[in-house]
Amino acid sequence: MKRLASGAAVVLLAVALGGCRGSDTETGESGVKTDVGVTAEPCPEAVNKDKGCIYLGIISDLTEGPFRALAVPITDAQKAFWKRVNTNGGIGDYEVDVTKYVRDNKYNPQVTNQVYQEIKPNILALAQTLGSPTTAAILPDMKTSNVVGSPAAWTSAYAFEDVIIESGANYCVESMNALDYANETYKPKKVMAVHLAGDYGDDAAAGAKIASEKLGFQFSDVKTDTGTDKQAGAVGAILQQQPDVVILTTGPADAAAVIGGAAARGFKGRFIGTSPTWNPALLQSPAGPALTALYEQSGPWGSWGTDSPGHKAMRDALPGKTPSDGYTSGWVWSYPVKAALEKAVANGDLTRAGVVAAVKQLSSVDYEGMLPTGAGNFAGGPGGTFKQTQISKVDPAAPTGVTKVRDLFEGPTAKAFTLDKPCFEQL
Amino acid sequence: MTAFVEGFVRGLGVGSVYALLALGFVIIYKATRVISFAQPALMLAGVVLVSHLAGPIGFWAALPVAALLTALLGLGIERGAVRPMVGRPAFVVAIITLGVDVAIRVVVNIFIGLDVRNVHDPWGLSTLVIGNVHIEHRHIAAFLCAAVLVAALFVFFRFSRMGLAMRAAADDQEAALAQGVSVGAVFALSWALAGALAAVGGTFAAAGGSFDGTLWLTALVALPVIILGGLDSLPGAVVGGLAVGVAQELVATYQNHTPWLGGNVSVITPYVLMLLVLLVRPYGLFGTREVERV
Amino acid sequence: MTVATKAPRGRPLLFTSYPREMSLFPTTTRKVAFGVLLAVTALLPFVLADAELQLLATCCIAAIGAIGLGLVTGYAGQVSLGHAFFLGIGAYTASVISGDPDGRTVGLGVTNLLVWLPAAGLVAGLFGVIVAPLATRLRGLYLAIVTLGLVFIGQHIFNEWSSVTGGVGVGRPAPTLEVFGWSLSTTTASATRDQKLFWLMAGLLLVFALAARNLARSRVGRAFTAIRDRDIAAGVIGVNLARYKTIAFAVSSFYAGCAGALLFTVTGFIEPSSFSLLLSVQYIAMVLIGGAGTISGAIAGAFFITLLPRIIRELQTFLPFISTDANEVPNVLQVESILYGVLIIVFLIFEPRGLFGLWVRARNYWKSWPFSY
Repeated sequence: MKRLASGAAVVLLAVALGGCRGSDTETGESGVKTDVGVTAEPCPEAVNKDKGCIYLGIISDLTEGPFRALAVPITDAQKAFWKRVNTNGGIGDYEVDVTKYVRDNKYNPQVTNQVYQEIKPNILALAQTLGSPTTAAILPDMKTSNVVGSPAAWTSAYAFEDVIIESGANYCVESMNALDYANETYKPKKVMAVHLAGDYGDDAAAGAKIASEKLGFQFSDVKTDTGTDKQAGAVGAILQQQPDVVILTTGPADAAAVIGGAAARGFKGRFIGTSPTWNPALLQSPAGPALTALYEQSGPWGSWGTDSPGHKAMRDALPGKTPSDGYTSGWVWSYPVKAALEKAVANGDLTRAGVVAAVKQLSSVDYEGMLPTGAGNFAGGPGGTFKQTQISKVDPAAPTGVTKVRDLFEGPTAKAFTLDKPCFEQL
Repeated sequence: MTAFVEGFVRGLGVGSVYALLALGFVIIYKATRVISFAQPALMLAGVVLVSHLAGPIGFWAALPVAALLTALLGLGIERGAVRPMVGRPAFVVAIITLGVDVAIRVVVNIFIGLDVRNVHDPWGLSTLVIGNVHIEHRHIAAFLCAAVLVAALFVFFRFSRMGLAMRAAADDQEAALAQGVSVGAVFALSWALAGALAAVGGTFAAAGGSFDGTLWLTALVALPVIILGGLDSLPGAVVGGLAVGVAQELVATYQNHTPWLGGNVSVITPYVLMLLVLLVRPYGLFGTREVERV
Repeated sequence: MTVATKAPRGRPLLFTSYPREMSLFPTTTRKVAFGVLLAVTALLPFVLADAELQLLATCCIAAIGAIGLGLVTGYAGQVSLGHAFFLGIGAYTASVISGDPDGRTVGLGVTNLLVWLPAAGLVAGLFGVIVAPLATRLRGLYLAIVTLGLVFIGQHIFNEWSSVTGGVGVGRPAPTLEVFGWSLSTTTASATRDQKLFWLMAGLLLVFALAARNLARSRVGRAFTAIRDRDIAAGVIGVNLARYKTIAFAVSSFYAGCAGALLFTVTGFIEPSSFSLLLSVQYIAMVLIGGAGTISGAIAGAFFITLLPRIIRELQTFLPFISTDANEVPNVLQVESILYGVLIIVFLIFEPRGLFGLWVRARNYWKSWPFSY
């Protein structure tokens, strides 16, 4: 009450103060300690009205940003995921709500921070925070406020953050694995990374560079920008330098413009793109034949049609949806959040600090077979990074247009690699 | 040399798209003295219409239908958001068109859906090979289509009654009004024309590839184009568009030799070109020099 | 010569001398209103929650930037879409000066706000002077779009120069809010971070706003207005156009630089893609919606535009029939974006003079009440 020392309006302020500041730790009937974002009242759409509610926020690119096409299915899948969790009995004495605090970040860091501040007093953690510039804008606050978040991105910087619970191999390791695969399959001599700027593209390019040095490839990297009309430089560089393998990290329309443009002018080398470079509708585009002939996709887990208990549960939970690997990603990204909440409840401490502590104790997350055992080692810090990648090829018959050619594997380069700082700093 | 010729021809193709978009801006500016920031949304709307219609009725039928519908949309914007602002400061109207742009793009994004789309154009990525020079059909098509449309516009403005009225209104609104020109109709028609041009330009921008919501960024390149050519000059828009297209593609071809400029410097070529031209000619290449009286 | 310092009783708007009409607070009402506003601002942090305070602190910073743009666009009539560029220059100057010398990005380690804030303003102002010659050659929409070019070129540089900016998607830490080692933005027993932030930003806004108001009523300000109203006429009566346009750009960029330096201290993080066309457009919208050519208008516009998304989200609780599911059409998120556009349109159509015009209307209504005019 020291701040009230300042004279005049003491009475007025004392009244006002009562209402809105701070939140105290409470202890529920079952002896679980809680603070922010957990209520004893049931969720708005509760399956079992006797249970309390854990509120998780979703901050995603849902209307006009560049990743809307992925963000909407990701968000959908996460809603379905938590609905399934609730139907199966919830988390301890609680159910989980991810529908009340869904916000659009327009892929803009300032907007992200605003909506984050707005929902922060009401949520325990973030079920999704999409995009790395956007997540970076709220990361300092997440760390001071102990808000755990599951990122919708695969940058290597997240391995160094305790409050970020990422899934799957990061872009850096993914392109190392892609090049190990290429080394066995195509015996390339020259490798090129065509990438967007920033931690998405730079991360993958840095991985390709490290791998190239190790495997003795001649390496070059070409930066490009978002927009199909802005790919001429990349296409020109590919044709000029004639690499044997191109590691591609762009959006889908841009990837098609690069691959289609290079192929139309006689390029015969291979392309390996990260999962965000793919969209099944590309098959109907003029670049379709070129993609079928030259493109392969590296991805952190199996696509929609993969045969695993987790994939099956996802397909069952999302009946009638047009298959998209946005769903797969959203589903996979939810497992570590579930594991962290379960651990926190088991520890009897569902406060924000308790969830952070629970994350640090997680040495493995059960992905129901979507990722192998051992994935989700958050206790191990950067050393516990998951390093397996799957390679897929174009297959018009498959539900999302790709089928795997190489199951999840960890190449020798990635195995020997220790992540001691974010990869993109090494480009 | 091959690379130069290829780059030049690509530049003409890309530049034709910019020219069509810039023509829309200039027509609106000439008629209403307003820069319409809603052009990106109109373009996106046109392209999305083409992509939806091309399946059932074929590309060649879809293009004019989409252009017509986009023209109607332009007309609607003019009626609803711009006409009430006649006589207000040009910049307030410009901000209004920005609001329109945001609103329309959100709606159009809904129709883009979750997958990338394509316009089902007949050219795809097929190329014409002369010697060892590869020339893509879509770039030739864009250039020819732009040429036809520019010629048609020329005939329209030069010989038709309405074209004459538009020129008169651009020259002096009050005098034209006094001579019986319906300035309202001129405003409406200019927005409709700009909408149709944006739809066609956007379709060629998307031809041979796929597009998603980010396509609207392409329309922004038309801004330096119109300044380069002169805000109130139709030939300026065409020449400016082609010049920017060629410059951008040539820079893209040779930018690997100048890594110190940063990656993909071709993206800012239009703006640098604009600044350079304005240092010499403050009203663009063909813009009318304002005669000032106190 | 004696100057009357007091208005005749009961006729507050009768100015009996020019200095009085031009004074900072020409009427008693204004003095009182200003005092009340100050008191409310000082006490607000006790009433509001942290998230709202943070938003209001952002509003205050945006208002500093908007005042700067208001000086060049509203007072001197030079429409600039390049404000984002100057904000960026300021943000990076400040964060380089204040940055950690051992960090990933370049930093000098001088964390004192009294050093980096003026420096950010000065460097941005210098860029304003460099750009100003364009303004003396170009007018109206030409100038607007050329300054827009600055934004695109600036964005390319910010994106590429990753030793300073950290690169796209990575970014760098914002400057440290600290005066002589005394932190202005950490939660202590006496006040939370957001309370402190709000007081600091509101205080800075006050300083910048008073400075701008004083500039506007000086010889320089009158020259600005003359240039806006008719630059050739201004030139004929002896206003040095090149000089005053340069001053206008320099001062405006100084404000932008300071605002840029402060803007990101709220989030603690600067990402290079922030300085886009969208940011410029927001500032232009603030000036136009607030009412061009007034300082209070610029402040009101800045608050309005910054708060608008929040207001819309609050409004939507009154529309429960709209789906919250991002997969359905229409959903709240789409409605939110559309409303943003539509509200700007509707507002400008019905009140082109902006929030300031609304205020004038309300004032006139009560002044002549119960008569309509």
